[in-house]
Amino acid sequence: MRATLGGLALALAIFLALPIQEFVPPFQPLFGARLVLVPMLFCYGALALPGWGMLLLALFTGFVTDLMYLHVVGGQVEIALGWSMVYFVTFGALAHGFQPAFLRGHWWIHILLSAAGTSMFLALQYMMISFRREGLVFNEIVLWRILGPGLLAAIFAPLVHLIATWSSHFVPQAGLIRAYRTRR
Amino acid sequence: MNRLLIILIIAAVAVAVLLSALGSRSMQKLQETFLGAVAPILRTGSSVQRQIGAVGSGLKTLDQLEDENRQLSTQNKELRAANQMLRGYESENNKLRAALEYRKNSAFQLVPARVISRDASTWWNTVKINRGFEDGVETDRPVLTDVGLIGKTITVAKNESIVLLITDETCKIAVKIEGSREQGICSGLRVQESGQGGELQVNFLSKSADLQPGQKVYTAGVGNGVFPFGLPVGEVKSFQAKTLDGQAIVIPAVDPSKVEDVFVVVGAK
Repeated sequence: MRATLGGLALALAIFLALPIQEFVPPFQPLFGARLVLVPMLFCYGALALPGWGMLLLALFTGFVTDLMYLHVVGGQVEIALGWSMVYFVTFGALAHGFQPAFLRGHWWIHILLSAAGTSMFLALQYMMISFRREGLVFNEIVLWRILGPGLLAAIFAPLVHLIATWSSHFVPQAGLIRAYRTRR
Repeated sequence: MNRLLIILIIAAVAVAVLLSALGSRSMQKLQETFLGAVAPILRTGSSVQRQIGAVGSGLKTLDQLEDENRQLSTQNKELRAANQMLRGYESENNKLRAALEYRKNSAFQLVPARVISRDASTWWNTVKINRGFEDGVETDRPVLTDVGLIGKTITVAKNESIVLLITDETCKIAVKIEGSREQGICSGLRVQESGQGGELQVNFLSKSADLQPGQKVYTAGVGNGVFPFGLPVGEVKSFQAKTLDGQAIVIPAVDPSKVEDVFVVVGAK
């Protein structure tokens, strides 16, 4: 029950984050890098939810992300619906492996995985676009557009972690984290 | 990882593969439904953003006034602030009048629209507007302002549409250069440098083209393309002869990152 509520709360947060992140202006000192909230929120889910919950959340996150950014020009789909699902399922399965350490109180794992997950997501997107458009353009701007959001995710992940842990009524395992810390 | 989880992962990947096999129209239909679902959030966000922006600019003006007029009484400050707000309304009124005039004089049937959000994705240049098929908007319709072309609609939901900006690499427009016989294909760059209006590239020009900075670029309206003839696109910034053809870099007539009010061409008058 607790896991279901936690998963639903995270799914709702991800659904809201998609339109909300459109109103966050690009960060000019990082070559216009943007704050991408979705991988950060999903990452928390992958670390806190049980396996089946993580999978359902990965499917949902991938589906809504693809729908939000589906790019169809002249009947040509640039990145097909479903690829983000594969990404989030794969990334989620990897992140889920760190759950025992996360539950033992190593909260910084969320920061590292959020940064890596965000940058990896953008790098894969860019590679797929480059395949479609025939020709890889790689310069300083591209590099920062990939690494910048990862860096921003690392900065904002503790905030997401705090909010999610604070709202422990809905987030499963948060109680466990607190219990572990109290024992220490 | 237990066996059940592995089976679930395989099932999840199978669902993803099945979805990816959908046709582009089916995917767009799903996207239209999704767009309809997030539209209230986008509209509320847009409205809040505008209000915050207005408050921000008002406070800035008040600060400036305070610096200039330290001796003035509180009443004077209030009066000045009110005056400033009225000037803001006047300026907006003038802007809307100009837009209305443009709409009246235009050779096209135009639907006015407002940008409700700018794409937060890193690799695509799109905006969302508050007009959809209920307002007569269809896919592949040019979107412009009284200054020039902005882009075209690519996905149209009930009351919202996604506009592909001319600064996107996938937005290809047949253009001609003013004062020359040169015609080429204009598109955006793969990655636009942020903080500027963006740049466009015009390819397939002749190597010997004698183009000067400042020459205007218009849509060529070739064949049955999306864009009608003669819409301003931008002006030439530089020209470079390459091995087989020439390439011009063009500054867009309208800065797509700042545009708020646009028109969608829904037909000819």
